Amino acid sequence: MHEEPTTITERIAANPRPALVWLAVFLALFALEAGALIQGVIVLVERIIVLLPTEAGLSAVTGAKQAAAEIPTLISREVIPNYGYRTPDGAWVNTFPENLPYVDSGLEPKWAWLIRNVLAFGYAAALLGWILHGYNVFRREYREADWTPRDDALGRFRRHTWGKAGFVVVFLFITMAVFAPTLGPTTVDRNIVQPYSYELTYLNEETGELDTVTVGTANTESRSAGAGDQNFGPWSYDNYDRFHPFGTLPQGTDLYTFMASGARVSLFIGLLSIAISGTLAATFAMISAYYKGLVDLALVVTGDSIMSIPQLLLLILLSAVFAGHWLGEIYSGGLLLALIFGFSTWPFLWRAVRGPALQVSTEEWVDAARSYGQTPRKTMTKHMLPYVIGYLMVYASLFIGGIIITTSALSFLGGGLGVNSPTPEWGRAIAAGQDYVATQSWHVALIPGVLIVLVVTGFNAFGDGIRDAIDPESEAGEGETEIVGGGAG
Amino acid sequence: MPDDDPPLLAVEDLHTTFYTDKEDIHAVQNVSFDIEAGETVGIVGESGSGKSVTARSIMGLIESPGRIQPGSSIRFKGEELTGKSEKEYRKIRGSGIAMIFQDPLTSLNPVYTVGNQIKEALRLHQGLRGKEATEAGIEVLEAVSIPDPRRRMREYPHQFSGGMRQRAIIAMALACDPDLLICDEPTTALDVTIQAQILELLEEIQEERGLSIMFITHDMGVMAQIADRVNVMYAGEIVEKAAVEDLYNSPRHPYTQGLLESIPGRNVGKERLSTIEGDVPTPNAVATSCQFAPRCPEAFEACDRIHPSMVEAEGYGRDHTAACLLYPEDLSEADRIDHHRERETPVEEREPTEDPR
Repeated sequence: MHEEPTTITERIAANPRPALVWLAVFLALFALEAGALIQGVIVLVERIIVLLPTEAGLSAVTGAKQAAAEIPTLISREVIPNYGYRTPDGAWVNTFPENLPYVDSGLEPKWAWLIRNVLAFGYAAALLGWILHGYNVFRREYREADWTPRDDALGRFRRHTWGKAGFVVVFLFITMAVFAPTLGPTTVDRNIVQPYSYELTYLNEETGELDTVTVGTANTESRSAGAGDQNFGPWSYDNYDRFHPFGTLPQGTDLYTFMASGARVSLFIGLLSIAISGTLAATFAMISAYYKGLVDLALVVTGDSIMSIPQLLLLILLSAVFAGHWLGEIYSGGLLLALIFGFSTWPFLWRAVRGPALQVSTEEWVDAARSYGQTPRKTMTKHMLPYVIGYLMVYASLFIGGIIITTSALSFLGGGLGVNSPTPEWGRAIAAGQDYVATQSWHVALIPGVLIVLVVTGFNAFGDGIRDAIDPESEAGEGETEIVGGGAG
Repeated sequence: MPDDDPPLLAVEDLHTTFYTDKEDIHAVQNVSFDIEAGETVGIVGESGSGKSVTARSIMGLIESPGRIQPGSSIRFKGEELTGKSEKEYRKIRGSGIAMIFQDPLTSLNPVYTVGNQIKEALRLHQGLRGKEATEAGIEVLEAVSIPDPRRRMREYPHQFSGGMRQRAIIAMALACDPDLLICDEPTTALDVTIQAQILELLEEIQEERGLSIMFITHDMGVMAQIADRVNVMYAGEIVEKAAVEDLYNSPRHPYTQGLLESIPGRNVGKERLSTIEGDVPTPNAVATSCQFAPRCPEAFEACDRIHPSMVEAEGYGRDHTAACLLYPEDLSEADRIDHHRERETPVEEREPTEDPR
């Protein structure tokens, strides 16, 4: 019998072609957006440094940021611009592809914007597809085992239409959040935060000449403020030839930019709080299931005490306490909200996974691991956690929907709760459009409202799909009924 | 046997109690036995007689609400194990004492390959990693006669048959290189032919490696095949202990006699197989009388009052003891009762009990 390679590196060395092909395409895909990623990281570092008491290193970071801005990135507003203006003879200047050499006329802003959006979503889909393909390559060419239990779970998910639909919605939402700065027809800083620091050129219809105006002034002329007033609905241009895919807000700012950026805030809060509470829940579930007895009782009492605190009152209290504190300033209260959710939601998650954890702790393989002297930590992570992690994912995806909707609800209420102005948050768009629901400016509240419902439903459907995928009996049950049916026939 | 050399494992007055909300279950009471290096000691008894709790007590795997009572002593190579911290106990587990569980279906984690789990044990006890661990893993699989071990290392437990799985579990225990192997009904879930193979394998391994084995079973037939010495347990107590031939040739305790009479193979030609009427009582109090008395065909009035202690019950040979008021045989009934009463635990140390009937 010939010697088979045993480690993954040896297996790749023995048959490098599929891995190299995959890696080459992946690097090519990555290179397209590397600039944006590096810039994103630098901006994050910069934000953290600003928070620190010393200013040391800030200049270096700023320099690095400028250097990173020079790295060409395919899907950016520099490569595919949609600002720009019409010349009196009707040609578009500064819009894609006029910015490219040897092209002297641009597309209408809406087409430029659409091309950029299609490219961004297409890129995200291609990246996801390539990563999934990579897993298949690994499975086919390099994995030691012909079959693992995960294969069946993936197969079950692949046949779960409702779960897949949820996954698509979640994927679109995440793409929107990740590519937020690129997707909007304008940027948050330019359009919402400092509109009077930026100027735009437009064709003055009355004089037939090119004029310049600050964005802030233009915004006041672009408001969607209900019946009898101006309205710029979805898929329309305002008087300054700016394109608004979702229309404008009552303040005249662009709703699509607001929504894309708001998606980022929602996702940040949702993911961070679920990461905190999920980690706490998993850790405590392992500890209480492994040690049982008094440790478990202490955790039950602690968890129940936290569960008995009304979350809304806690949020109001902490929002008031931290008003003006630096912790409350980050993301206009978004970080604080994520922390509060994270540390007050874990008992609910923990309660949900404690049962499965206790169940797996009675399995003989856990005893077997202990009986040959495995450490508690390794026993918990290797022999108990994998069993619980599926349940945790199901509940996490349900809770993340809940957190997103609660964040929006708090922002909707306003008054220092939730995420404050100027950081975009979907709930605030609904609040802004509240008075105009029955007017021509219906889009202001309706679009964010529908999107929240879609996203939350998407997360729930995704959770449903995971639950059925990790449960080997979800299909066996159906098979049984079929057999019974066949026997009766 | 030389007395100055301590036995590999010495269990003395082991008493394990489970404090449930409803009642206290004294699952194991005053259990004492020794295991010498290289021998196989069997523990036999019905379900619920405390065999597994004894094994788990030795491994330090008694979980809340269970507790080993003070006064119990478990010495391994002369080292006291009771009262050890988890951390200290981990040094004994695996490399000192390894355990094989009853159900080969659930003793292996279904989400990892068999190789992964064997390598885990190898890494823990022999510090082997990567290629070395794989080779060593293949070696132990070969040692338990699993064909094509290189391929088997990469397979998941569900791809193994029951017998193969039990072999893999034995391989895992061997990977720890223990001195004592506790087998908790390792053959119960297997069919008879596989049972025989596993027993043979255990004997082979014992011969090769000089292992001591503590073998737990409820099957008198299996016990006869593998054990050197046998302890018979009933309701948390050892009621008879003897070398295996002595026990099978001349069982002294009425319970052991009953057990042997209910084996079909030993009682060929009988019209009906005799059975022991009734069930094992739940030991919810410290015993103050003979626990077997309600089911005993030879019980007399004193059996309900006096808790018998282990006394010489010589049949053929040495070291044959039984906890029964019928022994020692050379004394008269009154003397026997006095003999046992004298050796009884003083009443004030006991908790009040109700009449078992």
